[in-house]
Amino acid sequence: MSKKVTLTAVLLATLSVPAFAKTTLTLYTSQPGEDAQMTVSAFEQAHPDIEVKWIRDGTTKLTARLQAELAAGGAAPDVLLIADSVTMESLKKQDLLAAYVSPEAKRYDAQLYDAAGYYYGTKLITTGIAYHTKAPVKPASWQDLLKPELKNMTTLPSPLYSGAAQIHMATLMNNPQLGWGYYEKLKANGAMPQSGNGAVMSAITSGNKAYGVLVDYMAIREKAKGAPIDFVFPKEGVSIVTEPVAMMKNAKNPDGAKAFIDYVLSDAGQRLVLKQGYLPADASLPVPEGFPPRDSIKLMPFDAAKALTDAEPNKKRFSDLFGNK
Amino acid sequence: MSIMTLRHATSSGPPKGLLWVLLCIVALLSLLPSLRLLVTALLDWREGGSSSLWRVLSSSSTWTALYHSFYTSGLGTLLSLILGSVFAFCLGLTNIRMKQMWVFLFMLPMMIPPQVTALSWLQLFGPGSILLNSIGLAPSFGSPNPLYSAEGIALLLGVQHAPLVFLALRTQLHCLPKEQIEAARLNGASLWRVFFDIVLPLCRTALWAGAAIAFVSALGNFGIPAMLGIPVSYFVLPIQIYQTLSSFGPSMLSDVAALSVLIGVLAIGIVSLQGVMQRRHALPLIGMAGRALDFQLGKWRLATEVLLGGVLFAILVLPLLALIATSLVPTLGVPLNAKTLTFAAWQSMFDSESATWRALTNSMVLSVSAALVLMLLSLPLAWLLVRYASRPLRWLQNAIDIPYTLPGVVLAIAIILLFSRPLPLLEVSLSGTLTIIFIAYLARFLTVCLKPVHNSMLQLDPAMEEAASLAGANFSQRLRHIVLPLLAPAAFAGALLVFLTAVNELTVSALLWSAGKETIGVVIFNLDESGNKVLASAVSVLVVALVAVVMLLLSGLGRFLPKGVIPWQN
Repeated sequence: MSKKVTLTAVLLATLSVPAFAKTTLTLYTSQPGEDAQMTVSAFEQAHPDIEVKWIRDGTTKLTARLQAELAAGGAAPDVLLIADSVTMESLKKQDLLAAYVSPEAKRYDAQLYDAAGYYYGTKLITTGIAYHTKAPVKPASWQDLLKPELKNMTTLPSPLYSGAAQIHMATLMNNPQLGWGYYEKLKANGAMPQSGNGAVMSAITSGNKAYGVLVDYMAIREKAKGAPIDFVFPKEGVSIVTEPVAMMKNAKNPDGAKAFIDYVLSDAGQRLVLKQGYLPADASLPVPEGFPPRDSIKLMPFDAAKALTDAEPNKKRFSDLFGNK
Repeated sequence: MSIMTLRHATSSGPPKGLLWVLLCIVALLSLLPSLRLLVTALLDWREGGSSSLWRVLSSSSTWTALYHSFYTSGLGTLLSLILGSVFAFCLGLTNIRMKQMWVFLFMLPMMIPPQVTALSWLQLFGPGSILLNSIGLAPSFGSPNPLYSAEGIALLLGVQHAPLVFLALRTQLHCLPKEQIEAARLNGASLWRVFFDIVLPLCRTALWAGAAIAFVSALGNFGIPAMLGIPVSYFVLPIQIYQTLSSFGPSMLSDVAALSVLIGVLAIGIVSLQGVMQRRHALPLIGMAGRALDFQLGKWRLATEVLLGGVLFAILVLPLLALIATSLVPTLGVPLNAKTLTFAAWQSMFDSESATWRALTNSMVLSVSAALVLMLLSLPLAWLLVRYASRPLRWLQNAIDIPYTLPGVVLAIAIILLFSRPLPLLEVSLSGTLTIIFIAYLARFLTVCLKPVHNSMLQLDPAMEEAASLAGANFSQRLRHIVLPLLAPAAFAGALLVFLTAVNELTVSALLWSAGKETIGVVIFNLDESGNKVLASAVSVLVVALVAVVMLLLSGLGRFLPKGVIPWQN
């Protein structure tokens, strides 16, 4: 009898020790799987007392999931690390985010984070033009994609699927030389949207399309592996997404969430970003291999709050233009 | 009349309590998700002209998508019917050699996840084909890939779902009365006469059932139209729903729910039509009698074998070869040769950080347990549906189809809405666990398991049960000694179908998974989505190989099981 009790006590003790020592942090992220795993592992190593439960998905599906969970009043994440600031802006408007002033913030350009601390950009992912090495013309500007000899050869990611494509659209719409007319001309020149950036890249490397609007790191990474693809930063400039990190208002583990935000913004976190092949948000760090020097990349201006108000009409216009035929 | 007799003669009826529990479970599983969606869809009905249902119904893109869904699914079903019945008749009725191998190979396409099917066919054609490039036959750079079209979608849907028609027919062919056929042959009827006058009419219900399940599967398919339709702006209903998900206004959920209600109504319509046809043409047969049929084909035998071999080569071997070739290059767009050949993708799959193994285990546990539970549920359910046929039960039977006909993404949203909060009374939260995926699987695949069992039960002559009842056998004796042995093959075939569909399932788990609780379909889709087609191909090859091994293991067990239990064995 007493033996049994001792055994139970020992069992209970072994079972409950990790539960006392560790807290759980729930992360929703849209990073590619391998990168997300790297980020989580590095964070857990820096904070052995926190165990991260994470979910990875496209920004769109992740937001849908979040909305459904919130509508049902159920479980939600502590911290978000997702592709674009427009989604963050929308969550902020819906009063779902918590403001947190990170001590790391002062190292960053004020454009990269929300002034009140609702979200912080962690890296710069630019959208430029990728092309197959066998493509007949080497493009240098966005206007080049409208040339008649490029008819039916261009593809682009759809803002209905990709957060980066949505920002790209909002950025182009802000540019008086490009604007909505640019999309209409692209369509007239036979451009066809794919779903996300991954699909655009496969269409180019597999030779189905010669040109594509694409995020930088995908093309540069695949080129390093020997894929027949090249990337150009067009002369009018590129759009950027900053993959912001933010803490949820109803976070169950607010301390863990703050630790996570601080970690991704810290020097170690930014060096990891560099190692993964992205342009770190911290301007004092070098650029990853295959990228031109930082000051040669021209960024087009972008306004997250305006992008949010325009998001629905933009998507509607896009889906009407390239919609079901 | 026979039902009346049965009821009178029943000295001990079925245990009422158990039946009610069964009915409640089934009703909860099938109806709760759809009702939850309906509530969401109708939440704003008071707004009249601006309510989501009205907005969705008055949008022309909804109707275009509906037409596209009909066109691709209809054409695909036609192809499934042709492929499935050619194989079923050739293998079920003739004396061609190595039948087991043929069936085995024909079943494989269904077990390959749809997005992998699309991926492998895309690798096969087009200017980027690793296979064609390596042998120097690839089409010129920049030429369009013919698969990116409505007909391309239909072709792959047809191939993907042909085994469903095949399985529905095969069960029926095993129950054909050999005596009548031999009598007809003795009286000098030609093979064609026997086929058209006896075999075909007796298989009509199975053909309807096969066509209906193929059509409904095509209607809800997401992977194939997503990969082939989106690049040419050809959208079907599930894609339309997926795109609606992307608008993050508060009206998003009700719009999605409204579109889902539409696709649900459509699928229910088709399935009820099939039910009507099935009842009209049902011909009770007595179980399995004697050996399988094998008409002597004579000199046509070799020609038939070559034809079947050619078809299998085109729909299975070639795409698989393309997939294997893709898994062996460093990245897409590099031709495969001695210099570029690399096992890097395979190595990274076996990394300690790799999610592949964990996901495989999860998928196996989920699909095997779902198959077993559903088999146990569908045996008494089929008996109840047939022997106590009534209007409410027929409604219930239609309701069972709904979770399967809804696109997976939608079912997943319904399940999230239902289970995000901790369960009442129990105070246990299911979100983020495998259990939530398991429940979704039970709801979604019940109809897959029930179809063959119900079909088999419809053909079961009640005379035997009546005789047993008159001889004094009570309910459980009748069930154990008459109904169960006769339904066992169909039940096992149903469970197997559930396993094979669930193990590669993607669209439901796509929204329900969390890290550590991912399924293999999710892993493949995520890899593909982030542009890593090479690793996605490697994981797919592994999945196909593992499923083939499971099937071979089952074949080994086959000799200990009753005849007809394993569909690819005689």
